[in-house]
Amino acid sequence: MTKEELKAKILEVIEAKVKKGGKTKVYLKDIQRDIPGASPREIKNAANELVREGKLEYFSSGSTVMFGIPGVGIGVEEAFKKEE
Amino acid sequence: MGEVKKHDTPMVDDLKKGPWPSFVDDIYTYGEKHKKQACFDIMGQLELSYKHKETHWKHGGIVGVFGYGGGVIGRYSDQQERFPAIWAFHTLRVHHPAGKWYNTTALRKLCEMWEHRGSGLVNFHGSTGDIILLGTVTEQLEYTFYDLTHQLHWDLGGSGSNLRSPACCMGKSLCQWALFDVQDMDYELTMHFQDELHRPAFPYKFKFKFSGCPLDCVAAVARADLSFIGTWIDDIKIDQEAVRAYVNGEIPPNAGAFSDRDWGPFDIKKEVIDLCPTQCMYWDEKEQKLYINNKECNRCMHCIAVMPEALKPGDDRGVCVLIGAKSVILEGAQLSTVLIPFMRVEPPYDELKDFIYKIWDYWMENGKNRERVGEIIQRIGLNKFLVDVLEIEPIPQHILVPRAEPYIFWREEEVPGGWARDLAEFRKRHPA
Ligand code: SF4
Ligand code: SF4
Repeated sequence: MTKEELKAKILEVIEAKVKKGGKTKVYLKDIQRDIPGASPREIKNAANELVREGKLEYFSSGSTVMFGIPGVGIGVEEAFKKEE
Repeated sequence: MGEVKKHDTPMVDDLKKGPWPSFVDDIYTYGEKHKKQACFDIMGQLELSYKHKETHWKHGGIVGVFGYGGGVIGRYSDQQERFPAIWAFHTLRVHHPAGKWYNTTALRKLCEMWEHRGSGLVNFHGSTGDIILLGTVTEQLEYTFYDLTHQLHWDLGGSGSNLRSPACCMGKSLCQWALFDVQDMDYELTMHFQDELHRPAFPYKFKFKFSGCPLDCVAAVARADLSFIGTWIDDIKIDQEAVRAYVNGEIPPNAGAFSDRDWGPFDIKKEVIDLCPTQCMYWDEKEQKLYINNKECNRCMHCIAVMPEALKPGDDRGVCVLIGAKSVILEGAQLSTVLIPFMRVEPPYDELKDFIYKIWDYWMENGKNRERVGEIIQRIGLNKFLVDVLEIEPIPQHILVPRAEPYIFWREEEVPGGWARDLAEFRKRHPA
């Protein structure tokens, strides 16, 4: 898989999760599970590049970081409710 | 700036009565002087939290600066109408220099910038080690970041699922006991792992800490996922003359650190020999001579700290690498465990870097969300982690106590012929 293919796949995975009505913010681990062909390091590099391109954004509680599509999804409280 | 609005804060004000300088005084004095409404609003919100016995901060969110996935922590008040000046009160973590040596001009400039861009309130330092800039609004984040990096040449520290800002003790810059150059190793690894520091990579946080000697002033063994502690492999150097001088009361023990009270005459047996954790020391009263069985010594440094003029660490020095300390989250708090008891190190520490990547690769692949590396070791077992993941031979230093359990489980490849057996052959010998 090339980096561009991996980036497209990451977006696809997150979009599919949103469409299914699931979480709009995902951990790197959640992406890894759906793309077993790529190594965790490749995935994090590609996901971080997508952030730089403005196609993804970080969502941080301070202690952990999730990735989401800009403008899609729920606010701070709901996303981190499970952590508290 | 106009007049500030003060809130009634009797419970918070009560904290000013104690014997120590109070943050309440500091924040009010600063707020008055600079007419910062945020200072009065955080005190007002704190009073309300004392009353309700719950926090009124919400944390987290999308805030950050471009290209960085760490260093900024979103914070909002849930009492926005009452305390409008702190409706957004984001925190920035600023990476501290190794050993926390600052040039006062740099600090002054940092404070001036923060007074202009944010609340002006700072915390030196957060528990990981960073300088914490407390409180600004979302619109100021990029400007603060630009000023910080381009004008003042500082950088943000780590937060979230990143490598957190590494921290070390004062090391050779101040301390006679530094057994390796902690500041150099801290700096080198910080620069090498910039990507992991600024962009989320892991299932959860990861911390490096470096202590120059086993006295461990940065409390690495209690706080860091990976600790590097200075140690030595040869014998403790003994100056018998100086030992006798301690025994005869000519030199104060602990370099005089406890001389504010009369603790009675120095008793080498009670204060050194009996406190040696491995019981490897012997004081011959007749000979007036100290013996150390260095093979048993675990390099805790207790004896050296009590009699620094008589005892010195050996000359063959390196680091002990430990893994897995953490506070509570998934599992309870735990201390580190020894991974490599002794390793000679040299810049640029390539061997260590490779070793770190090996740990990370496994953890990134197999760690659950919010599982620290110490917890994955707990889950799979130290033996498996050492042998299968890091490919190192287990050694006695990895073991806390000898096994009590009588069963030994073999793996198939360890048994000649594996699990398969010839039943016909077996029946020839055991016909029933
Ligand atoms: S950890 Fe050891 S070397 Fe570092 S400051 Fe403390 S006593 Fe000195
Ligand atoms: S360093 Fe610690 S273990 Fe070693 S001899 Fe001294 S007190 Fe005992």
